[in-house]
Amino acid sequence: MARHVIIGAGTAGWNAITTLRELDKGGSEIILVSEEAPYSRMVLPYYLAQSIGESHVYTASSSRLAELKVETRIGQRAEQIDSAAKKLVLEGGGEIEYDNLLIATGSSPLKAPVPGADGDNVHSFWTLSQAQTVTAGLRKEARVAVIGAGFISFTILNALVNRGAILTVVELESRILPRMVDETGATIVEKWLAERGVVVRTATKLSAIEDKNGAKLLKFENGPDLEADLVIMATGIRPNIEWTRSSGIEINSGILVDDHCRTNIPNIFAAGDIAEGPDIVTGRKAVHAIEPTAMLHGRIAAANMAGDDTAFAGSLLMNIVDVLDLEIASFGAWDDPEAEAFEAVQPDRPAFRKLLFRGGRVVGAVILGKTRDIWTTNDVGMLKGLVYTGVDLSDWKDHLRHNPFDVKRAFLAAGTAGQLLSKTVLGRPSVPAGEIAISS
Amino acid sequence: MTDSIFAYAGQILRVDLSSGKTWTEPFEAEDRRKWIGGTGLGAKILWKEVPPEAGWDHPENRLVMATGPLAGLPVWGTGGLTVVTRGALTNGATNTQANGFFGANLKCCGFDAIVIQGQSPEWVYLHVHSDGVELRDASSLLGKDTWQTQQALEEVTALNGHNLSVYSIGPAGENLVRFAAIQGDYGHVASKNGCGAVMGKKKLKAVAIERGKKGIAAAHPRALYAAADEIAHNLKTDASTRGLYLFGTLGGVRNLYGMGALPIRNYTTNVWPEDVDTKKWEGKNLREGFDHRGHQCSACGMHHCHMLVIGSGRHKGEVVDEPEYEGWSGAGWAIGATEPSEVAWLNDRLDRACVDVNEFGWLCGWVMECQQKGYLSDKDLGFRLEWGDVEGANRLLQMIYRREGLGDLLAEGVKRAAEKLGGEAADCAIYTEIGNTPRGHDHRSRWEEMLDTCTGSGGTLDTAPPVQPTEFGLPARIEPQDPEAVPKQVGVLRGRRTFEDSLGACAFTTRVSMHVLCRSVEAATGWDFRMEEAIRNGRRTAALLRAFNLRCGIGPELEKPSKRYCSTPVNGPVAGVSISDHWEKMLDIWYETVGYDRKTGRPTPETLRSLELEEVIESLWGAEVKT
Amino acid sequence: MKVLKIIPDRCTGCMRCDLACSYEQTGTFQPSKSVIRISSFEGHTSYAPYTCLQCDEAWCLTACPVEAIGISPVGAKVVADDICVGCKLCTIACPYGTMFYDIDTHKAVKCDLCGGKPACVEVCPTEAIVYEDAEQADWVGPFAAERTKAPAGPLAGVS
Repeated sequence: MARHVIIGAGTAGWNAITTLRELDKGGSEIILVSEEAPYSRMVLPYYLAQSIGESHVYTASSSRLAELKVETRIGQRAEQIDSAAKKLVLEGGGEIEYDNLLIATGSSPLKAPVPGADGDNVHSFWTLSQAQTVTAGLRKEARVAVIGAGFISFTILNALVNRGAILTVVELESRILPRMVDETGATIVEKWLAERGVVVRTATKLSAIEDKNGAKLLKFENGPDLEADLVIMATGIRPNIEWTRSSGIEINSGILVDDHCRTNIPNIFAAGDIAEGPDIVTGRKAVHAIEPTAMLHGRIAAANMAGDDTAFAGSLLMNIVDVLDLEIASFGAWDDPEAEAFEAVQPDRPAFRKLLFRGGRVVGAVILGKTRDIWTTNDVGMLKGLVYTGVDLSDWKDHLRHNPFDVKRAFLAAGTAGQLLSKTVLGRPSVPAGEIAISS
Repeated sequence: MTDSIFAYAGQILRVDLSSGKTWTEPFEAEDRRKWIGGTGLGAKILWKEVPPEAGWDHPENRLVMATGPLAGLPVWGTGGLTVVTRGALTNGATNTQANGFFGANLKCCGFDAIVIQGQSPEWVYLHVHSDGVELRDASSLLGKDTWQTQQALEEVTALNGHNLSVYSIGPAGENLVRFAAIQGDYGHVASKNGCGAVMGKKKLKAVAIERGKKGIAAAHPRALYAAADEIAHNLKTDASTRGLYLFGTLGGVRNLYGMGALPIRNYTTNVWPEDVDTKKWEGKNLREGFDHRGHQCSACGMHHCHMLVIGSGRHKGEVVDEPEYEGWSGAGWAIGATEPSEVAWLNDRLDRACVDVNEFGWLCGWVMECQQKGYLSDKDLGFRLEWGDVEGANRLLQMIYRREGLGDLLAEGVKRAAEKLGGEAADCAIYTEIGNTPRGHDHRSRWEEMLDTCTGSGGTLDTAPPVQPTEFGLPARIEPQDPEAVPKQVGVLRGRRTFEDSLGACAFTTRVSMHVLCRSVEAATGWDFRMEEAIRNGRRTAALLRAFNLRCGIGPELEKPSKRYCSTPVNGPVAGVSISDHWEKMLDIWYETVGYDRKTGRPTPETLRSLELEEVIESLWGAEVKT
Repeated sequence: MKVLKIIPDRCTGCMRCDLACSYEQTGTFQPSKSVIRISSFEGHTSYAPYTCLQCDEAWCLTACPVEAIGISPVGAKVVADDICVGCKLCTIACPYGTMFYDIDTHKAVKCDLCGGKPACVEVCPTEAIVYEDAEQADWVGPFAAERTKAPAGPLAGVS
């Protein structure tokens, strides 16, 4: 019986487990090594908002893992891989032999490298324990400074506002969401936030965090000081690759994987935030560090670990977040400087569209609008469909140049739905994780 | 607004174009029950807010664009728009209907009606959506026809399909043609009494309504579905509506011809020319030769409204809206045009320039006859216009909407133009003394409609043809030229159509049993609602519109047809039969039946009291008749 | 499996399906909450409804981080409201554009085939949507292609 060792219980690891069990129905050994119990990072903002309880955060309980015949080493850290001996060495001793190894140890948050960044009431919001700390410590009308105005920080803005926090968002770059929208889009979002009482300071570099009368005093290289009760650092993440350096696995920004999520060592796979795999639009390898890619990697890696020969065309960079009922989503090469960009704003409301064309295909897109408006169209998913399939839209290009909002008719007329029916991931009906049959 | 409002949005949008202000006021529960919506609501506003000195072109005139309780619900044909205003042809009340998606979209934006007052200093259009209302600059829309206007607004808003309902005026309305109409959603026209001129006078080019994001609750949704199913079933299967279900109003040409009611060449004949292929004019055959595509109104299952791609002839490949019967007659038979593809094309020109197709038909037919008979020279007109000349008719249309040459006079409508020209020419013109014209029928064989057109208060028929008259204790059928049964029937049925026009529904899909219709209203609103209340409601509104006209100085002395309108047909099924000999007698019977005073034209105090219009008694009859 | 088969030639754009669908979603007639959406082609001459194909390897289902999406007895992919947190991952995962989000409930919404008695089918007056055994297919694509040879339609340029 093959033994699959999976390191990391985040989205990639968990999807690998369920996929393995979908395929082999319990016919292999799975050992899960993870510092933390399996939970979903994606739902932590809802935990912070107190719209769900802590139990809702976990993707699998210990009983569920047992049902799936998963042996667990929760609370343990992988220290080293001995690929020649096909052994995983755990911190503090202990070894596990494997036939296949999946590295899915994710990423860790970075804090701005300033004095005081490690002080009290300065937190990252990344892990469950950090979320617990912030959630417990957040008082109504607390003055909260969020350092960084990227996707991560935006996922928690709603929760902070709904909890009654008085918010200031500080961004080093000249605009917010620098890796999700362009200048035009960012301007709309900044206006929206300002109208709703969220203070945004862009092009502002934090220089120090001091203590003052029990509160925090934020100093900047430019601009006035800011007093806050709580500081949340959302200044980026980096893959947890250091521990793998001695293993012989090829590393660039992340662990390099092929279209099977395989590393240079055939029985070692990597998935999720740590993996640097093919991007479907550019064809180049990239670390996406997003949930959908982690899911995709996990499933692809698992299929190949189970003995299938399953390639994927690459993962698609995409993000969606809403801030106080303004929806923002971007897909693919939304900032490709080589592409032809068609964009338009609506005169009377916050609504922005951007389509990036290379030749006859859409390689990236930005959609931005009021949540109530956005969901009266099929456009969000269709933009993904257009980028994902790369369907030929040559006939529609002039029309979309003129009106980039009208993607639906282009999507339909180009037969995108028909293409999608055959462009699946594993090519087998999906099974809800709760219904995976395990043979006894 | 509370959650307990069923079938209504509960709010009325008010717009003052003079100041550019918009605001909302509640559509209160009591008013909802008393006036229902649509025509009822419009009548109430006209009566209350438009004084006699405020003529059709006065800033104080109101343009009410209302819908009703069934709009936006799954009952067939419920995108309803009712326009109520003081109209340019009669300078009296106007009650005219269109459909499409106006009402459905408006209610999802949170409004049951838009009441427009004032006059804008600059051309504007009104944009309505869930989050607000804006008056926007319309200068880029000027001169555009109604379809172009809608297309332009679709581009501005990046919305298409029924996500945007646009009702606009064409160049005719901009230039205050007295029979200018308001057209919307590619082919639906609120056409009567120059409502488009009112809109033009207010410098309001268009009203654009997004498919809003609010919900409409029904009190008893499952009962509403059941009533809707029953209405649909009746429309599909009842002998009186099956043709309508299958072919819309296309069957009208043959059917009306058979009874002598197809108006041919300005009432000069009732026999179609020998060279006409009459087979082409059968309902189902009128769909041949076109690539016709369903284009239904909100929630409608009738095979009625269509778009056509013209399949042959000079206009092959052009997209037009399928003409209604009124189009086939007004843009066709009334002017002697008998080639369907040409008629369909002209009808579309009329919708786009946006005039009432009937008034145009009577006007154009009259000009053709006057030319033929030498009452109007080629020089007077600027060119020769023969019977059936569709291109010439289009040229005439352009002269009218640009108010060029004789077009400037013709733009005043049949009655005013005829009176101006006078003499023998005037004798050929078809109109009523109130100032409107009949719909596209030869009413000399349909006496009920001539009586109805002349006594109507809304710029057209008040009562319209009978629907299931036995529910009113009337015989299923009467002789169309029976001088006693006709006025009796028109009188007894009074109120039914006005009630239908208050629902936000289409007059075709409401051609079912009153009981079923009332059940749909009951299910939508939660009211205990029966036929008796519905009829009383309709009669109340009809009486109020009449009171409004009387207050504006439009009295019974004007309730008569022009000489040609009531002339004696020279051939056809009713050759030699004249309504004129019976006219006064018919009026006597009608007045008695409806409970109005024959001499003054006023609804009697008893009638007004029975309709809970006590406040109108004093106004019409003076203080002494209070009790 | 029975699927929603769309026969766009028959659609007249009456939007009754989206009224009925929204009623199933919300208890009111609120087309903005419908999960079947109607597109227009060639100006206003052609219409077609479009909704979830219930694709086999369901992007929404695999994307959901909390396993809120399951498969109903009739084969529909369905969202369990009490599990969904409203993160919208499914909405960007679904490349068909048929995953929606309800701003009032903060949940993902999609076609659930009304438990096997689809309201859109029940109310469609022209049988443009039928519910029958069929392979999943791109029902609208060929029609949309034919009716958009000139994307803005033949209305463009008519003066």
